[in-house]
Amino acid sequence: MKNPYLGEFEYAVLLAILQLEDAYAVPVRVFLEDRTGRPVARGALYTALERLETKGCLRSRMGDPTDDRGGKPRRYFSVTSLGLRALKATHGAFANLTRGLETILEQQ
Amino acid sequence: MSARLAPGGPASPKLDAPRPSEGGPPPLAERLLALTLSAEGWRDSILGDLREEFCVIRQQHGEVPARRWYWRHALAIGSRRLTSRFGAGRRGNRSWVMPPDPQSAGWRAGFARDVQHAFRTLMRRPGTSAVVIVTLALALATNSTSFAILDALVLRPFRFPDLDRLVMVASSDPREGLFDRESVTAGDFRDWRREARTITHLSAAEWWDANLAGVEQPEQVAGFHVTADFFTVLGVRPILGRTFISEEEVQGNHRCAILGHALWTRLYAADPAIVGKTVRLDGAPYEVVGVAPPGFAIPFGAQVWAPLAYSPQEWADRRNRYLMTYGRLAEGRTIDDARAELGGIADRLRREYPETNRDIPNGVVTFTAGMADVATPAFVSTILAASGLLLLIACANIANLLLARGSERSQEFAMRLALGASRTRLAWMQLIEAGLLTTIAISLAVPLAWLGLALSRASIPVAVLRFVPGWQYMDISPAMFWSTAAFGAFATIVFAVVPALQTVRADVADTLRQGSRATTAPRQRHWLRNTLAAAQVAITLALLFGSGLMLTAADRAVNGSLGFDKDNLLVARVILPEGPYAEPERRRQFINGVLDKLRAIPAVSSASMVSHLPYGQSNASREFWIDGVTLQPGEVRRVDYRRVTPNYLETMRIPLLAGRALNDGDGRDTQAVAVISRSVADRHWKGDDPIGRQFRLTKEGPPITVVGVAGDVLHDWFQQQRAPTVYRPLAQDAPYAHGFVVRTVGDPMSMAGDLRRAVSASDPDQPVVGLNSMDGFIAERAAGLSFMAKALSVVAFIALVLAVMGLYSLMAFMVSRRTQELGVRMALGATRWQVIGLTTGHGLRITTVGLIIGAGAAVGLGRLMESMLFGVVASSVWQLAALATFVAAVSLLASYLPARKTARLDPTIALRAE
Repeated sequence: MKNPYLGEFEYAVLLAILQLEDAYAVPVRVFLEDRTGRPVARGALYTALERLETKGCLRSRMGDPTDDRGGKPRRYFSVTSLGLRALKATHGAFANLTRGLETILEQQ
Repeated sequence: MSARLAPGGPASPKLDAPRPSEGGPPPLAERLLALTLSAEGWRDSILGDLREEFCVIRQQHGEVPARRWYWRHALAIGSRRLTSRFGAGRRGNRSWVMPPDPQSAGWRAGFARDVQHAFRTLMRRPGTSAVVIVTLALALATNSTSFAILDALVLRPFRFPDLDRLVMVASSDPREGLFDRESVTAGDFRDWRREARTITHLSAAEWWDANLAGVEQPEQVAGFHVTADFFTVLGVRPILGRTFISEEEVQGNHRCAILGHALWTRLYAADPAIVGKTVRLDGAPYEVVGVAPPGFAIPFGAQVWAPLAYSPQEWADRRNRYLMTYGRLAEGRTIDDARAELGGIADRLRREYPETNRDIPNGVVTFTAGMADVATPAFVSTILAASGLLLLIACANIANLLLARGSERSQEFAMRLALGASRTRLAWMQLIEAGLLTTIAISLAVPLAWLGLALSRASIPVAVLRFVPGWQYMDISPAMFWSTAAFGAFATIVFAVVPALQTVRADVADTLRQGSRATTAPRQRHWLRNTLAAAQVAITLALLFGSGLMLTAADRAVNGSLGFDKDNLLVARVILPEGPYAEPERRRQFINGVLDKLRAIPAVSSASMVSHLPYGQSNASREFWIDGVTLQPGEVRRVDYRRVTPNYLETMRIPLLAGRALNDGDGRDTQAVAVISRSVADRHWKGDDPIGRQFRLTKEGPPITVVGVAGDVLHDWFQQQRAPTVYRPLAQDAPYAHGFVVRTVGDPMSMAGDLRRAVSASDPDQPVVGLNSMDGFIAERAAGLSFMAKALSVVAFIALVLAVMGLYSLMAFMVSRRTQELGVRMALGATRWQVIGLTTGHGLRITTVGLIIGAGAAVGLGRLMESMLFGVVASSVWQLAALATFVAAVSLLASYLPARKTARLDPTIALRAE
């Protein structure tokens, strides 16, 4: 199966999920904002998560409902093998593109 | 977007355990969001995430910011989900927006384009658009003005902290009609204050018209005697000095006063060292202990407060009912708790003091309800209702204009439909056009409303203002702006829906086939337009009738038959302080001294004194007992009670119907006598001659002999009753408060200075109050009614103009659509008058239907006003008929003018018209 193409935001979301354990939407968003320094709209995040799941890059499972969430369960995400492949492909593509530019990109 | 409120530490997003106990996010927002997320497995997890973050934010920033945050994000997520769903669902099919959108542009770009398009459409017919905007602006301004008045006078007349915790307690049951706030005896108040636990700091106030001397000109100041915690209850701190202390509630310690800010500024030049100085009030020195903050004038425009100090006997009094009480609900208690508790106390008092407290109810109301002016809500809601009707007329008018234009544009719409636009889309575009019109109209309406408010404020006379709490808030405010916007949104929906419906229903093929040479529009549309026009005529007639009722009522209040001759009369009131005038003889000397000086003036034909001026704010009544007549248990007969100088009836030109008038022979040591008014004789000695009969003013009081019968006088026009009155000679009973009436030869106001001099010659410390001509005095009393009548007439006039405009434009449009048809008829031999009759007849039918419905509505409105305004108004069939004729004539003219224009055309031109 051909690796699906990842948009920039999807790429970031997948990376965040890989970094976190027990990844659900709230900490994913906080992590993204913290590492990228850019505000992340909740609506956009949900749309991206849904799309990634539809593409098969993510799998989700429901946690137990808790009181502090009004009896609503958390939806925990983990990256599928397809997702990992897509991530590698995109990362590789970026790496190919940046080769030779390290002096420019990494000097502060 | 929300970095500022982002919860937890970033790398390890650990969330503090939220406290679920405090209630969740705004339920409405949650429900709305849930709706947009329906049918997807995502709903629960997203709602849960948001709730989790909400709890954290509430902990960090508090309840209100958290709720705001939730709303913002719920709406953001919801709208994004909606657009993505629509985008996904319709992809590949016909796009739901037209023209087809590139996916990236989003709804914002589409909306901007729609607005641009709507703007261009409106600019294509600048005339029509201008008419629509002006019509709507007028109607919106009227509504906003009325709403601002309602807001200031009825909804929020008092604005200070914790207003909802303030209550008034009275011996009056608010469920039994009017709430009488001044109905508490000193004894009952003391018991309530001691026992009530649901109300902290119950405080009392008693009227005190204080005579302030030692200033340039002595004057009467609105004042109140209050218990020490009065200011504490209202949560008011003086800007200078202190409030009263409970030691000052004792007689002997009570000579201290707090001055109102306005009084302090006006008479004492805002002297910062005023505290500790002495002012003369009612002839006694009072030490100033404080100055109230600016704007504080509670109750009833009070400008001086002094401690309420009673003797032990006075505190035990359970007969005289005159105190007002204010209290603050105890922490955690509701007004219902207070009602229950005070009801219990009242039951106990009933058992303990059956003599005085047997029938004494007990009511607790909010401060705002307790202080509300009796007539204001009825007045203001009438104006608001009238403005609402005006808004409906405006909407009908605009809908008709848009319909007319819509039918011109039916070709355009049909074309769009044929090219693939959806009907929803076309309706949406009409809504945007309507919204654009409204937005422009609102920007015009706000300054107009501001103007209306300024005019309203200016038209309330100063004398009335004291009794109309909240008038100072009648100003441009956010509330007014929001109300304008709300009315505007309402109007948009009303007048946009009609043409939109029509667009949706139209049949594409038919319309296209008919082409521009269609002779008449489909029947359905005629029906809609005719209904709208008829409704306008109907509402206009009802409004005109209502305002007519108010105008006649105001006119009768000022010029109607009052029972006395009000021309060339000068009136003034003087209230003698109790201290120096405790002796009745001193009061008599004062009065006779003033009257003698007045009578010596050549331009004065007669001068006399009465304890209460007819039409005045105040009244005095007594029980009326006749020996040998047994009353039903609980029945009390009362009469109005007046103390007068002997020539009072003559000065007022009140006719003497039988017996003799009072005269100088009725002295202190002679028989106690009285003149009664005709209604007393009719009620108590039916058919018999009352002269020589006796009555008593208390059950055990001395007998008083009737010596004469006088004509009735209208004391309070609002009660519309000829008040049964007993007149007693000054020599036998001297009052403290009295009014002078002076019959003059020329303009009464030219004698004002003489009256003032006569009073100050007798007592230089004595202020004169309400110096005015009787005409002016009456006009002031009827000011509320006149204001109301004027406001309603303005509304009704605008309504008439709008309705006529609407009918005219409808007829003009109809005729222009039928120009070809009329051309054919004329070519085939129809005469001019036949053509005119054809089109005018149509207008006549609309008018007739409108008038019939309007007459029904007018009669209903008249009934409603009669019941709401205490018999102030009385409907008249003739008035209705006259107004209906007038409206018919104007409407006929409006439909004749366009017809005449067409009938004058050459048939060949008419035939070619498009």
